[in-house]
Amino acid sequence: MIGFVDYAWLVPLVPALCFVIVGLIGHKTPEKGGYIAIFGALFAFVMSALVAYDYYTSEAYKLGEAVIIGPIEWLNIGGYTVNFGVYIDSLACIMMLFASFISTMIFVYSIGYMGDQGEKKRRYYAEVSLFLTGMLGLAVSSNFLEMFVFWEVMGLCSYLLIGFWSYTHHEGDAASINAASAAKKAFLVTRAGDVCLMAGLFVLLYAFGSMDYATVFANAQQVYAQDPTLVNIGILLMFGGVIGKSAQFPLHDWLPDAMAGPTTVSALIHAATMVKAGVYLVARSYPLFVTSSDAMLFVAAIGGITAIYTASMALNNMNIKRVLAYSTLSQLGYMILALGAGAYLISMGMDMGGETGQTLITLGTMGYAAGILHMINHAFFKALLFLCSGSVIHATGTEDMRKMGGLRKTMPITAYTMLVGSLSIAGIPILSGFWSKDLVLEAAFAPFDNGLGAGSAFCILFILGMITAFMTAFYMFRMWFLTFTGEPRGHCHGESPKTMTVPLMILGVFAAFIGLIVLADFSYFIIQSLAPGLADALAANGLYLGFHDSMHILEEIFTNVWTYVAIVLAVVGIFIAYRMYVKRPYVAEDFDQTKKGFLYRLVANRYYFPQLYNQISWKLGYGVAKGVDIFDRNVIDGTVNGLSNAVVGSGEGLGQAQTGYVRDYAAYVVVGVLVIIAVVLLMVSYGGGF
Amino acid sequence: MDVPILSLLVLLPLIGAVLTLFMGGARTKYAKVVAAVFTAAALVLSLYVMFMPSGDLANLTENYTWIESAGIKMSIIFGIDGLSILMVFLTALLMFLVVVFSWNEEDRPNYFHALLLAMEVGLMGVYMAQDYFLFYIMWEVTLIPMFFLISWYGGPRRHYSAIKFFIYTHVASLIMLIGIFGLVFGTSGGDFAFAAVANAGGLSEAMQIFLFGLLFFGFAVKMPVPPFHTWLPDAHVEAPTAGSVLLAGVMLKMGSYGIIRVCLDADIFALAMPVWQPVMIGLGIFAMVYGVYACIAQNDLKKMVAYSSISHMGMVLVGMGCMSEIGIEFAIFQMFAHGLISAALFMVCGLAGHNFGTRDMRLLGGMAGKAPRFALFMMIAFMASLGLPGLMGFIAEFGLLYGLWEYLASVDLMPIILLGLLYMLLTAGYYIWAMQKTLFGKLTDKIDLEHAHDIGNIECVVLAVLAVLIALFGILPGLATDYIMPFVSSIVNAGGLLI
Amino acid sequence: MIGMEFFLVFAAILFAIGLYGILSSKRGLVTLMSIELMLNAANINFITFASYSGNAAGQVFVIMTIAVAAAEVAVGIALMLNAYKINKTTEVDELSTMRW
Repeated sequence: MIGFVDYAWLVPLVPALCFVIVGLIGHKTPEKGGYIAIFGALFAFVMSALVAYDYYTSEAYKLGEAVIIGPIEWLNIGGYTVNFGVYIDSLACIMMLFASFISTMIFVYSIGYMGDQGEKKRRYYAEVSLFLTGMLGLAVSSNFLEMFVFWEVMGLCSYLLIGFWSYTHHEGDAASINAASAAKKAFLVTRAGDVCLMAGLFVLLYAFGSMDYATVFANAQQVYAQDPTLVNIGILLMFGGVIGKSAQFPLHDWLPDAMAGPTTVSALIHAATMVKAGVYLVARSYPLFVTSSDAMLFVAAIGGITAIYTASMALNNMNIKRVLAYSTLSQLGYMILALGAGAYLISMGMDMGGETGQTLITLGTMGYAAGILHMINHAFFKALLFLCSGSVIHATGTEDMRKMGGLRKTMPITAYTMLVGSLSIAGIPILSGFWSKDLVLEAAFAPFDNGLGAGSAFCILFILGMITAFMTAFYMFRMWFLTFTGEPRGHCHGESPKTMTVPLMILGVFAAFIGLIVLADFSYFIIQSLAPGLADALAANGLYLGFHDSMHILEEIFTNVWTYVAIVLAVVGIFIAYRMYVKRPYVAEDFDQTKKGFLYRLVANRYYFPQLYNQISWKLGYGVAKGVDIFDRNVIDGTVNGLSNAVVGSGEGLGQAQTGYVRDYAAYVVVGVLVIIAVVLLMVSYGGGF
Repeated sequence: MDVPILSLLVLLPLIGAVLTLFMGGARTKYAKVVAAVFTAAALVLSLYVMFMPSGDLANLTENYTWIESAGIKMSIIFGIDGLSILMVFLTALLMFLVVVFSWNEEDRPNYFHALLLAMEVGLMGVYMAQDYFLFYIMWEVTLIPMFFLISWYGGPRRHYSAIKFFIYTHVASLIMLIGIFGLVFGTSGGDFAFAAVANAGGLSEAMQIFLFGLLFFGFAVKMPVPPFHTWLPDAHVEAPTAGSVLLAGVMLKMGSYGIIRVCLDADIFALAMPVWQPVMIGLGIFAMVYGVYACIAQNDLKKMVAYSSISHMGMVLVGMGCMSEIGIEFAIFQMFAHGLISAALFMVCGLAGHNFGTRDMRLLGGMAGKAPRFALFMMIAFMASLGLPGLMGFIAEFGLLYGLWEYLASVDLMPIILLGLLYMLLTAGYYIWAMQKTLFGKLTDKIDLEHAHDIGNIECVVLAVLAVLIALFGILPGLATDYIMPFVSSIVNAGGLLI
Repeated sequence: MIGMEFFLVFAAILFAIGLYGILSSKRGLVTLMSIELMLNAANINFITFASYSGNAAGQVFVIMTIAVAAAEVAVGIALMLNAYKINKTTEVDELSTMRW
């Protein structure tokens, strides 16, 4: 029977068509194509819901298989064929669902938020449609090259959208220059990751002879056994792409700058698309990644370091969007940490085998589920938080929290939906963020708990995660208190229009409760996406994909002492923020960033990372380039010109012999002929001929 | 086939060139119409050949004996295969687009269009010739119109550039000619036909290496490969837009075409190929990285794009140097892709100079608000050139770098791929930087904004055609690889390739 | 039969006279006539060898040479006439506008 799954290719295709339509004739439609873009996103959401339902009820899902639709031959690379196909499994369904749903909300919100942009709206709606196409295409890709294509399309869209105001900015030239520079940075920094990913794809193609997910996953264990070094290099190179796209340390610095774009774009980048692509890649490549426990330790470490490192920068930032950007970075670190720890556990479990191995694998799948769940939850509450901040910015005309304050009374809907989001991200029980964050930390703790080789390293990562949880609660509520409580410190023209507040409320409900799906055995649905790639390899070792059912998860969470420690830490964080920013009256000098100690300035200046970037690009890029240019003009061209001057000079010398008198020429000819005759005669008489 | 289609492809532009040349005086304004008609006819013809079943291509071959005396046989042989057809199509297409693009040329349009058509004669001849002597003659025929295009219609330093261009490439072609003589008299003993030379073969190893070197030098200067490249930036900067488009779009490909056609013919050079392989790869990588760094230092948009041609053609050299199926396949794809992309690039840069009065990035800024069409096409062209997926450049770069990776893996030098990655990153770097300086930020006050204007409709249509083609072949690369693969496998089956 | 050397010596003398004329005279017409003498010296050589070796090719060449020489003289005299019209002289040393 042909079901909706067979039409899954419509999911990315319709937004792509919307991009074309809006791009060509958007200016002739109402809202400059806004409604077309919303239709595209909504269609994608409905279609992905149908596809997901169809897949969920299908035989393939129960058997743990992916549905691969009509790979068509796209490109011949020498002897290899690269196909274009659709690969539907539960992970793809999840990505499609939340990306399209959140995009729909953001697009609706844009009608209000971008309403005053005039002709530029056409460009905006075309580009966001393409952005969504990129994400949905990425989610349903059936091989790594196809995924890479959409991956790069998103890179382009982020460049265009971050630089949306890179010329004729309404705040003047400085803002234009800032936006242009942020867009450039985003593109180039993620590009650095992308070229790594591309090299990773070379390794894959070289090692596996194919880039299809199915082939790569089926042969992962075997190829790893043959050449572990090569596969390790491949995995690390691919993870390089993740570091760039998901803004992990040390390529994290583009994301805070990316706030120069419209707030809706930030929401799109942070919640629905772009940065989620990196996490998705790790999750998607799990059957490959679990071959190498060493690489996975590295992945988890990068995640843990990013989580705390970026959270620290949110502690004293004054820009409402920047705070959210750092919190995204930090939450992404959590996801990568959970995925890395989960893969590490599965990897160790497969090596050990037997009863212990099975326990580890079951824990590992929990880590995997934790990472994905956190991605889903984060998508909802981060979209909500960004849209709320957009609403605030829309009303106050500034992003500086020092100029806000007391907005709770003028913008109640925004204030309370944002409070929901903040509570959720801080990990207050029964709200979404609580469940997934706890599972993340539990996964990070598991290797230590089970006394594995790298347990102590994971223990440190776990402690970092705990501290991050505390920091998160603190800076989120610092932001909320500074913005919405106290005395107003700037002007505000009231609550935002309906098109903006309705999406906020919808997202608010989801942000609060989406996490409860974990209680409905949702983790089984998530883990089932590992089955197509991993089940066979596990079965070969007498293992299977174990999973914790929801009762077990509840038990794990609530019998674990660390859960309560985390809750206490979060509450303490909120309390400290309350003491610092509500109880104490607002004093402007307290926020003068120049008069602070070294540590404060270090954090406020982002650990001087932007300067480091500049130095590197200056020295490695422009410095060498100048040298090459001088070499080119002086040495190479100098040699050429020198040669030609020598030729011309000698030519001019000889030219003096050209008197222009026919008689002289005739005389030369005669002399020349005589000389030749003389030579010939001499050769004949003395040399005995030629 | 009764109609000599391939000869017509050469003769049509020739007739057109003669006609336009004599359209002086009052008829000057019709010169462009005549040129457009003849180039369009050639384009239609090339499309007809393209859509023929591939089996029929061999039947098109035309063979006329030209000079046969004293043991020397020079023939006029035109033939076409998967490699030629793409280049012929590219030539015909760009010629037509360039004629349309130069619709508003006011300065002696009859000579201008006659020169363009004369170029087309030479280019078509080069890409279809199956005889070394004909090949060489056609090779030289392309040189002369280009010389006059630069020295009559060029910028302020046009005479210097034109002469530099002429001498540089002419010296190279003379060395190539020596190579051709050595090749022909060493193998077939006087029959200049490609087939005759290949069938005879039988050069000693030392002779192969020597002749390969001579021919390779001739072709490499045309490509151009550093350190023999300095004619290119000067020629580009001074040439009129039409000249730059043809120079980058199709003339540079003559070099790489020659290498694939002659140097990589295993019947002749089987023993020399492994010897020269590391040299080709090394020079190619050097060209890529050197070109990229040179780009970063430029302030003139057109000069930057000229250096980018050097680095992109360096990739082609790398692909050919791999001497593998993948390498050659994507070298050809890159030739085709770069033909279209660089045409768009040079048109955009030419328009910057024409419409804004300067191409200096230091003087421009914030032009996206002033000239949105310009910004759109500049962005498309730049993105295509930096290898954005969905556009042609990506396919070529992915394939070529993978070919390089395979080669490096086979000689155990894998870390060198890092230079390829550096190339990709820095390519994105200079393009993005150039866009930032030109299009974004503060609207400049250093140029005459009163007279700065956006792209006109004619130019817009031409650029849109190029953009659509770049996207079409990027999304459906099979359209091009279907022509390339049979050719590549034919030389693989001939035992021509190393891997 | 008269020996071949008589003809050859005669041709050589003719050639020498022509050469002397070119080298010594400044007048354009004299130069043209001298060239004519040298050409005819060559013709005599051709005919001599042709007749003594019995090969007709030499005579064919002579006929061709005469035809070319006729054309050449026509062009040369026309040039001289024009030069005289413009410069009022046929002295070759005076016609130096094209000199570097």
